[in-house]
Amino acid sequence: MKRWFPVGLVVLAVGLALYPLQATGYGVRVMLQLFMWIALAQSWNLISGLTGYVSFGHVVFFGTGAYAASILIVTLGWAWPLACLGGGVVAAALAFLIGWPCLRLKGPYFAIATLGLNEVMRVVVSYYEGLTGGGNGLSLPTLHASVEIYYAMGLVAAVVTAVTYVIVTSRFGLRLMTIREDEVAAEAMGIDTLRYKLYAFLLSAAAPGIVGGLSARDQGYIEPLSVFPLIMTITMIVMALFGGKGTIWGPVLGAAVLFAFQEVVWARFIYLHQLLFGAIIVGVVLLMPRGILGVLQQKYNLPRTI
Amino acid sequence: MGVLITPSMIGQVVISGLLAGSLYAMVALGLGLIFGVMRVLNVAHGPLLMMGAYTTFWLFHWIGLNPYLSLLVSMPLLFLVGVALQRFLVRRVVDAPELSSLLLTFGVSIALVNLAQLAFTSDLRSVEYLTGSFVVAPFALSKPRLATCGFAIAITLGAFVFLRSTRLGKAIRAVSQSREVAQVCGIDVQRIHLITFGLGSALAAAGGSLVAVMVAIQPEMGQVYTFKSFLVIVLGGAGNYPGALLGGLLLGLVEQLASLFLTSQVNEAVAYVLLVIVLLIRPTGLLKGRV
Repeated sequence: MKRWFPVGLVVLAVGLALYPLQATGYGVRVMLQLFMWIALAQSWNLISGLTGYVSFGHVVFFGTGAYAASILIVTLGWAWPLACLGGGVVAAALAFLIGWPCLRLKGPYFAIATLGLNEVMRVVVSYYEGLTGGGNGLSLPTLHASVEIYYAMGLVAAVVTAVTYVIVTSRFGLRLMTIREDEVAAEAMGIDTLRYKLYAFLLSAAAPGIVGGLSARDQGYIEPLSVFPLIMTITMIVMALFGGKGTIWGPVLGAAVLFAFQEVVWARFIYLHQLLFGAIIVGVVLLMPRGILGVLQQKYNLPRTI
Repeated sequence: MGVLITPSMIGQVVISGLLAGSLYAMVALGLGLIFGVMRVLNVAHGPLLMMGAYTTFWLFHWIGLNPYLSLLVSMPLLFLVGVALQRFLVRRVVDAPELSSLLLTFGVSIALVNLAQLAFTSDLRSVEYLTGSFVVAPFALSKPRLATCGFAIAITLGAFVFLRSTRLGKAIRAVSQSREVAQVCGIDVQRIHLITFGLGSALAAAGGSLVAVMVAIQPEMGQVYTFKSFLVIVLGGAGNYPGALLGGLLLGLVEQLASLFLTSQVNEAVAYVLLVIVLLIRPTGLLKGRV
């Protein structure tokens, strides 16, 4: 397993890199969205899978990144790759603003405090019409860059996964997981828990910010309702949970499986979409809360760095 | 701004705030009961409220039933829905981490909203029963809001009396204080959990029935009440039932003041900031949570 895994990864990476050369525009857009979901699920996993602090407002970083990048492109005329990085920085700054007070909250209170965040940001963005266009949304100049965005999105997904790997195998990751298992014990061992939780939260906000910018650039138009939906937070959580939260490859696997399922099955049941998704959520929570990799990990005694 | 704010405007705002707040208090009490007794974060609270609202709407539409009388139907009906939810789904996540209960009830929540969209369409519907307002110079008191406030206070007080004085109410409070000790004393904890979820849902349904008389309803109306109820129980102190009343009134006031001094658009942002401040200064809520 140890030998073929890196080889398989390289083959996969080369395959994905060559994919746009022969794919249709539609195929590229679909894969680009898959990368987006991998990056989002993996980012949520960074804070919630590793530290156990459940962020129920993660879509705010996506939406804030989308708005920040779009504003940088429209009003300041930045090139889109730079603007999207800017979106990541703004999202991380927002994460600091939210995390500094809220990460002190224990147990379910952190989840409650993040629960309404998407509504709040949607309201705030609608309110500052001068900058954001309010409810009318913001149109970006036309640009045909799907293939470039495909590579950028893929790069972000790969980098977040690599960062997760580095974290899980480092002392920093051990500290985060100690917080998850027993925060009081972590403090007793001299871990500055707030600081490490905050680092993890900032890291977990940066990629959604960048991805939000890329997605806005790809769509060409954003409005408050489209970039702050609660359902997006839930989707990334369910993806991470389905694959196995707290693992490295779980969110990738979960995102791939659920996204494929969505493309193939849900697309045929437009009116029952939410109902089916609700049933999937209930099924995942009740039947496999540890996720695919979590179950395999326990059953076959696999390493932590799966 | 540029609008002059007179004392009578502030008075009007305080009245509107208290009127709205009493409804929040009642709805949040339902959520608070469920959270206090089972530590379950019920995101489906708003959609249950929506179902109560539709019950009232259809009863009014089909047989012209007085919407306030329909409380007698919507509350027992949603009590049963709540019991069924607890029996078949929520029961399994009572002892799981909060992520499980949040996700599970979210799944239930979008399924309920989707079902309502399929069954009732997304059209806005309204119960035109009570309109207009009493004018007590210089204030105007909207009749439906006043009636809502009256019913909400009555039901909330009824719930308090029930929790305080009846055997069943005492058993519920005992389970919320310590499940093990309650069990040792011979209380059937599973049964109390069923009843609690039913009661919580019935309180949400009462909120829905009362909302239906005030504003037009649609399948997605509930979500905003979920969020507000969470705000209220955290403000008031989770597990502290009288705290829900205080938290509800406070939220109503803050929202109305925010719409006077800023704009009604930012209500939720202001309420959220209030929540974070309260959580930081007094994580147990304004009245100490008896968890």
